[in-house]
Parts: sequence; structure tokens; C-alpha cells
Amino acid sequence: MAPSRSSRNSLQSVDLRALDYLASPSANLLCPICHSPLITPVQTRCLHTFCSACISLSLERSLTCPVDRKDLSHDDVTPAPIMIANLVNDLVVLCPNREKGCEASCARWLVESHVREDCGYAMVKCAKEGCDGMVARKDVDEDCVHEAVECEFCEFAVRKLDLESHLRECPKLSSECPHCAEPFLNPELSIHIADCPAEIIDCPASHFGCPYTCPRSEVDNHTGSCHFIALTPILQLHTERITTLELENKTIRQKLELLIPPRPLPTPSSSSSNPQDSSTNTGSSSTTRDMTSEMQDYTYHLYSEYEQLRSDVERLNAQIRELDVKQDMARINEGLRYNDEMTGMRAAINGLRMQLHWLVASRRDAPTPNSGGAGGAANRVGAGSSTNDGRRMSDSARQIVKL
Amino acid sequence: MAAVKRIGRELAEFEKSPLPHISAGPATDTDLFKWNVVLTAPESSPYAGGIFTLRLDIPNEYPFKAPTLSFTTKIYHPNVSNDDKGSMCLGILRSENWKPSCKIAQVLEMAAGLLKEPNVDDAVETGIAEEYKNNYEQFAKTAREWTRKYAK
Repeated sequence: MAPSRSSRNSLQSVDLRALDYLASPSANLLCPICHSPLITPVQTRCLHTFCSACISLSLERSLTCPVDRKDLSHDDVTPAPIMIANLVNDLVVLCPNREKGCEASCARWLVESHVREDCGYAMVKCAKEGCDGMVARKDVDEDCVHEAVECEFCEFAVRKLDLESHLRECPKLSSECPHCAEPFLNPELSIHIADCPAEIIDCPASHFGCPYTCPRSEVDNHTGSCHFIALTPILQLHTERITTLELENKTIRQKLELLIPPRPLPTPSSSSSNPQDSSTNTGSSSTTRDMTSEMQDYTYHLYSEYEQLRSDVERLNAQIRELDVKQDMARINEGLRYNDEMTGMRAAINGLRMQLHWLVASRRDAPTPNSGGAGGAANRVGAGSSTNDGRRMSDSARQIVKL
Repeated sequence: MAAVKRIGRELAEFEKSPLPHISAGPATDTDLFKWNVVLTAPESSPYAGGIFTLRLDIPNEYPFKAPTLSFTTKIYHPNVSNDDKGSMCLGILRSENWKPSCKIAQVLEMAAGLLKEPNVDDAVETGIAEEYKNNYEQFAKTAREWTRKYAK
């Protein structure tokens, strides 16, 4: 027998981390991170030992030692002494195919070659030429299980490997119903199970609380006497009513939430006009839903009105401010004009005073010996022109000057 | 996944050599990352007689990230937040203190140790810590009361 050795090699790889150890290893040989015996041990600058893969993962997250939290970089990690590596590699492990039946155990460093070359339960390529299937090494010299064979009952072609599972559901074979233990052909079984008379079922009114259970065939006897079933139409009606009421309650609550928090300001004044509408409306339609939508519309209406009024007030305010400014400007202008006029008047008065001075001075000069004559002349002039306003003014101005 | 293997190993170890006053294990068979823990309080503490349940959540990045521990039983304790989370403030669980070499068994042991002796210098409930320091009698009274109320 000369199939090449490589065709008998298993492609299965061994996950060293998943191995089970024959004896529990010394705690000193455990990696502090994964808590399993060290795999490819490495040592840090602070002399702690880890699996190579574990410390790399740890350094990716934090550049500190996972044991003493001292600073650590990738460069501070070196392979551990060979003695440590030998110690962990010599630990005896169980074959990873133990669950399939292999009872072998060997040193850890040998386990890979055991699985690759010796383990009878490792999967290897099927020996038959042209077959791509995999088979346990111990069965490799038997007939190829990937060949199609004919089922002896249904004449259907199935792989030898799948024959066992096929026989469980072969359409020509029968299986027992789990309830009545009667044999049925596989395709009919599921139909039968759906209404097997022996199946234990709940009372049809179980959702209303009937605790009774019995085989399907006897359920009719029970339904005749079951109080729950007698009450079912009423209970059904009540459930429906409760659900509709709950729904209604929910919508009403939503509306209420909409209405209550904002408390619109103008309600009392304007509600005097509209509620009549709404009350007549509710009276006619009489459904609460209509009323709430009416209320909602009404609230919105109030809101918009309120907004409109506010904008009106704002507009008016602006106008008033504008007018104010205009008025101020006009007043200032007027004041300036009056000022000008006043200075003009003052200048005129000054001119008059100057003239008066001159007149007085010249009169005083003319009749030098008669000092009282000036007064007498002035009196005469004043008496003579008493109807003239202008003269009177100048008259009083002269008295001031005299004083 | 490295985390699953390590947790499995720790669980096996824990079952082989259980710690006094502590029982722990995954809440469901399918999820190794959520543990239920039950602590029985030591006789010498004001929590004596109480049975406290805790939840241990292990992150996927374990052991590179610390697990979190929270009380599901209400407890009057300076190091346990007095809210519905009940999170326990444990020094070694802080991200800056956590080391991948720490084991779940060590964490649980520390938690049990805190029941015996609270760490008032590292408290989440500072009010309770003050009371513990200045008015131990009052603290012990409330702790006993809460234990009787919630942890029986």
C-alpha cells in the first residue's frame, strides 16, 4: 500500500490555546494575561513573562507592563530563556480530537505532529482517486463514503455518509407520531401531528383563563360544559370594547397634553363667543373625537389671532417711535428758527437803543443851560404820541436808559 | 476569542476553589460575560445576616479592560452609589489601576472585603462616609436597618 504520505497528512491545525492539559500545570508557568500555560514565552525588561501574542495585544492598548504597570515598549520584550520555553513545551496535553474518541496524550510540542500524522481521528483527504471528501484517518482504507448509493426504500441516490440521516426522513419509511405512537410515512407525519387526536391541547378558551387540558379527541366533551366557553362571546365583546376604549383614551390623553401645558392667554375673553359653536357642534356630532379636534382647531385659531395681535402691537410701537423721532426733529428745527429770529430781534433792539442814546446825547448837548428842559421835552413827546405803540416802547426804553 | 477562554478558565478555577462568603457564576449558560454574584456579609459587620446580590459585567476586551461590579440589592455603604445602578467603587476596577493580570476572583474578594471594612477615603457616597467616620453608631444603625429591609 503506497498512498503518498502527504495524502494521509491532516490539514487540521492545532490551536495550542484550546488544549487541555493532563495535569494542571504549575501556576508559575501560566501567562498572567490569558491564564493558560505560556505559548511562545517572552520576557519584559521588568522580568515578567507572557505569551508573545498576549503581550502584543496588551501593548496595543497600553504601553505598560500588565503586571506592575511600569512603562514598557515593544523593544523591551525579548524571548524568554529557553528553559522556560522547554518547561511549557514539555507539558503533557490531551489530543484535540479527544471528543471524537482519540485517547492519545503527548508533550505539547509533539501534539501538532500527532494530529498531522498519527491521530486516527484527524480528518484527512479521502483515499479514493478523484474524491474531494474528507474522512477520519482510521477509516481511510475502507470504501469511500462519499460515493452515492441508492436508498433501499426510496431508490433515491444519497452519499454513504448521509445514509443514516436520510433513513430518518426517507419518504418511504414511517416514523412514530410523538403523541399517539402510531407509525406514519415521513411526508404525512407533519400533517398528522397538526391534528393528532391524542395530542394534549389547551381548552379553546384558555386565553380567558380556563386551565383545562385534554387530548384533542376529548376536547368537545369539555367545551360543552366549560363555563369559559359559554362566556366567550361576552368576554370577546368586552375585550374589544376595552381595546377601543383604551385607544380612545390614548388619543384623548394626547389631545389633553397638547392643550394643557401652554395655557393660551386670551382664552377667557374670546372663549365667550366660540364655545357656543363648539358646544353646539359637540351636541350634534356627539363623538368625543370631533370635540377634541374642534378644540384643537379652536386653540390654533386663538393662537394665530394672538400672534397677529402681537405683531400688530409691534408694528404700532415701531410707528410711534418713528413719529416721535420726526416730531423731535421738527421741534429742534423750530427752536433753531426761533433762536435766529430772537437774535435778529435782539440786534434790532440794540440798534434802537443805540439810536436812542444818540438822540438823548444830542438833546442833552443842544439846550445846555436848561437841564430840566430835556425832561419836559420828553414828556411832551410822550404825551403827543400816546396812541403809537412803537413810541411808547421807545419811551419806556428811554426811562430805563435814564435810570 | 481570548476573553472567552480566559473567563472559562477562571470560572473553572473559581468552582474548584470557591471563596468564603462568595458564590458567583454566569447568569445564563450562553453568556459568559454577565455574572451573578451573591455575597453573604461577614458577622462582624453591620450588614451581618444580609444576602447581597451583585452583577458583574465583563467587557469584550477583558482582560485588557476592567469588569464592572454593581449591587442589585440596596445597601447603605460609602463605596456603593445609592441609586438604581448601585455601582461599586472599587480601586482596582478603575481604568488607571486595572491590570490584565487581575483575576475576577480577586475582584470579588475585594468587594467582599469592602463589606467588612468600607474604604472611606475613596467613597462615592461622601455623606455616608462622613457619617461612618464621625458617627459610626448612627451609620451602623442605618446599615442594619437597610440590611433588614432589603437584604433578607
